[in-house]
Amino acid sequence: MIYLPIADNIDHVIVDVIQALSPLVLFFLIMQVLSLKLPKNYVINLFKGLLITLIGMVLFFQGIKIAFLPAGQRIGEFCGSIEATWILIPFGFLLGFLTTYAEPAVRVLCYQVETSSNGYIKGSLILYALSFGVAISVSLGMIRILYGFPFLPIIICGYLLVLILLRMTDSDFIGIAFDSGGVATGPMAVTFLMAFAVGVADSIGGRDPFLDGFGMISFIALTPILMLLIVGIIFKRKKKEMYHDS
Amino acid sequence: MLSDFKSQLREISQAIVPIILVILIIHTFFIPDFSISNAVLFIIGSIMVIVGIALFLVGVNIGLIPIGNAIGSDIPRSGSIPLIIMTAFLFGFLATVAEPDVRVLSDMIQTISENSIERLHLIMVISVGVGFFVAVAILRIIYNVSLAYLYTGGYLLVLMFLFVAPPDYVPIAFDAGGVTTGPITVPFILSLGIGVTSILGGRSAISDGFGLIGLASIGPILGVLLMGIVAS
Repeated sequence: MIYLPIADNIDHVIVDVIQALSPLVLFFLIMQVLSLKLPKNYVINLFKGLLITLIGMVLFFQGIKIAFLPAGQRIGEFCGSIEATWILIPFGFLLGFLTTYAEPAVRVLCYQVETSSNGYIKGSLILYALSFGVAISVSLGMIRILYGFPFLPIIICGYLLVLILLRMTDSDFIGIAFDSGGVATGPMAVTFLMAFAVGVADSIGGRDPFLDGFGMISFIALTPILMLLIVGIIFKRKKKEMYHDS
Repeated sequence: MLSDFKSQLREISQAIVPIILVILIIHTFFIPDFSISNAVLFIIGSIMVIVGIALFLVGVNIGLIPIGNAIGSDIPRSGSIPLIIMTAFLFGFLATVAEPDVRVLSDMIQTISENSIERLHLIMVISVGVGFFVAVAILRIIYNVSLAYLYTGGYLLVLMFLFVAPPDYVPIAFDAGGVTTGPITVPFILSLGIGVTSILGGRSAISDGFGLIGLASIGPILGVLLMGIVAS
């Protein structure tokens, strides 16, 4: 029988998740005693929810650690060793798209956008826009690792562009756009894509793997904002056309 | 609850199976030392991720979101602005101190910077940044200030800081801004915003309830850049 390190260090994960949730629970309990005063059965149900969240997070983090983190690193190392390095750019695009498509926090945001807009803004639209945004970022990150362009001008131009688009977009989309920038850099992106980038930078050589990895996450936070602001501009146009037609 | 779990499981599987397949295909064809035990480990880990996310989302729907909504709609009832600001600050601060993603990033940064940037300092700076901007965001909802102004102001400030801060801190700052919004803060802060808007009349949940997380990301960027300016 081969030994599989499935539960290695799972105790650390459990402690970390409990540490993560307990201040919030404490805060809720204080609010509950001082002013919320929700019925007892309701509170018990909330705690069931918290317990399920806790178990889910432990499984998720452990799964990421034993499966996706090493896989990202292996793929990154392999890609860095190919002769035709340009292949990394479309490849990064694919991985970026699929990772965001799988990101749990993104799903939460899409769901909340769809319900609070009464279905007027489709969750799937946000999901695809975001996934494309992140895909572009990862390609950019790969280009940066391969050809080493400076980081600061891109970021400055990117945020200036954000400020310009902000003036043109539909106001409903502003909040969603900036939220999605934060949401896209969830646990899947940070662990898997960063492991991938670090692996690539490592095997290409002459690069600072960690700074390159960090830089890519910054792109991932930026492009979804741009994408959704653009979606907002298209929505605004459509709305205008509808008024003209009727 | 069980039917919710099943539908979540189905949806999550649809979301994650593509990337699992791509990773497996790449591994079998291109990675030379990919053993069967590695493959089994990867598949078990993937199943853990799928079940974990499904459980997490079910739990968030019946635990964290109702808690966030309850507190969010309770805060404005008191009518006292200082109290509202204080609670909102605590809300953001506590959720971020707790965020596992922030811990992972801070760990990595401490190691890479060879302890010149300390983990605990970073966590505190990031969390205070988030708390501060969650408070600002709630004030914005109450006084009905346009989000566009706040973002413009916030990011202009970021751009100004960029020119003064030491270059090493720049990528870290933006990462800190992104990472703050992990699996706990997102549902919690989103529901705070939606709760506050639902209790105040004449607000639209769509344009007022969202935007909190985006604002919350500016706080850590400014905080870490400031930390860099002070340190240099």
